[in-house]
Amino acid sequence: MPKRHNLLIAALLCTCSLMIAAPACAHHSRAMFDQTKQIILVGTVKDFQWTNPHCWIQVLVPDPTNPQAAAAEWGIEMGAPVELMRKGWKPGSLNPGDKVTIIANPLRDGQPGGLVVSVTGPDGKIIGHPAAPGSRAP
Amino acid sequence: MNLKSALIAALVLFTCVPFTRAQNLNSKTRVAAFAKLPDWSGMWESDAFVGQADGQQFSEDALKRMKARAESMRPSFTPEYQAKYDEIKKSIQAAIAADPNHPPSTHQPLCGSPPFPATATPGMFEWRVTPEETTFISTVGAVRHIYTDGRSHPSKDLLWPTLMGDSIGHWEGETLVVDTIATRRRIYIGELTGFFAPMSDQLQFTERIRMVDHDQMQIDYTVEDPIALTKPIHSVITYVRVTDFDRMIEEADCEENERDPVVNGRFTTVTH
Repeated sequence: MPKRHNLLIAALLCTCSLMIAAPACAHHSRAMFDQTKQIILVGTVKDFQWTNPHCWIQVLVPDPTNPQAAAAEWGIEMGAPVELMRKGWKPGSLNPGDKVTIIANPLRDGQPGGLVVSVTGPDGKIIGHPAAPGSRAP
Repeated sequence: MNLKSALIAALVLFTCVPFTRAQNLNSKTRVAAFAKLPDWSGMWESDAFVGQADGQQFSEDALKRMKARAESMRPSFTPEYQAKYDEIKKSIQAAIAADPNHPPSTHQPLCGSPPFPATATPGMFEWRVTPEETTFISTVGAVRHIYTDGRSHPSKDLLWPTLMGDSIGHWEGETLVVDTIATRRRIYIGELTGFFAPMSDQLQFTERIRMVDHDQMQIDYTVEDPIALTKPIHSVITYVRVTDFDRMIEEADCEENERDPVVNGRFTTVTH
């Protein structure tokens, strides 16, 4: 089993919130993710998919209690490429073999997948930055 | 009929066809008309979407703004349409209860077809302001045409419900006043997983669009439907200038790598 901790409830309830006449969530509902929970995945990038409508990180997560077992593959959903670029990501921000630590909201159905909250890269730094009015991408 | 009479008749017929634009400016006049228009250049986005993190998670400030806006836009339905709304809501609640892990897809995902008004959808957008038309172009695939050449809406026999409806506008100073009819007969309700409430063929939208200052635009937005609503819905949506990015990049191409497919009416996720 991958290392999995429930962290503090972030209370980021996606209400897609009540805007009349037009959906507020990009592309689709996120209700399949449990946004009251966060998990930490420590593993190795298998694939970084810089694609529409969403980018994905495929990450191989070994079981620290059983090093002989095969690593579990997790799929972590992100925003669209244009959204990530605005937050400092680039198509080459991650490459296969990179060691990463990912915080994510897990899928409700127990499948090995989640919605990204943050990604720490091989250099120990969080990749990207939150968008803010007036800020500029590097 | 001699040749001269035939030419005159043809000219009269041509100028009377319903799709003829009311204005037909020569280039000198058109350049002068451009000079009178406001400068809406740049890229814009709703203030509700500023501050999303990598997983599209909203900031607390954004959630507060969205909730306040939602409250101001809560519809007051007539009994007939309240019953329709209640029935839809009840069926969605039952579907969620039956399988909370896979929420029902109760509205079309925003891949290439954001519903009206596209201006309230996520993503960046640009305006093209010309004397004859103001065009809204967004990264989620929406294009709206707002005709400002003095035309009227087409006659009823030439209208049917479409995604963006039929929009005509006129300038009051630097405010563009837009009247839209013939959208699909529905409004989006952001409750539960989001769904559309049915409306009547009297559904009409009025928008007053203006720059507040260099970095802010507002749309004063009214929804009327005397059959479905007991009173109009009114709200103000604020847009901010995008300053951290300088290109429009399409993000509505869901055919490229859609890993949240809708299966049997429910969202699923492909993790591998």
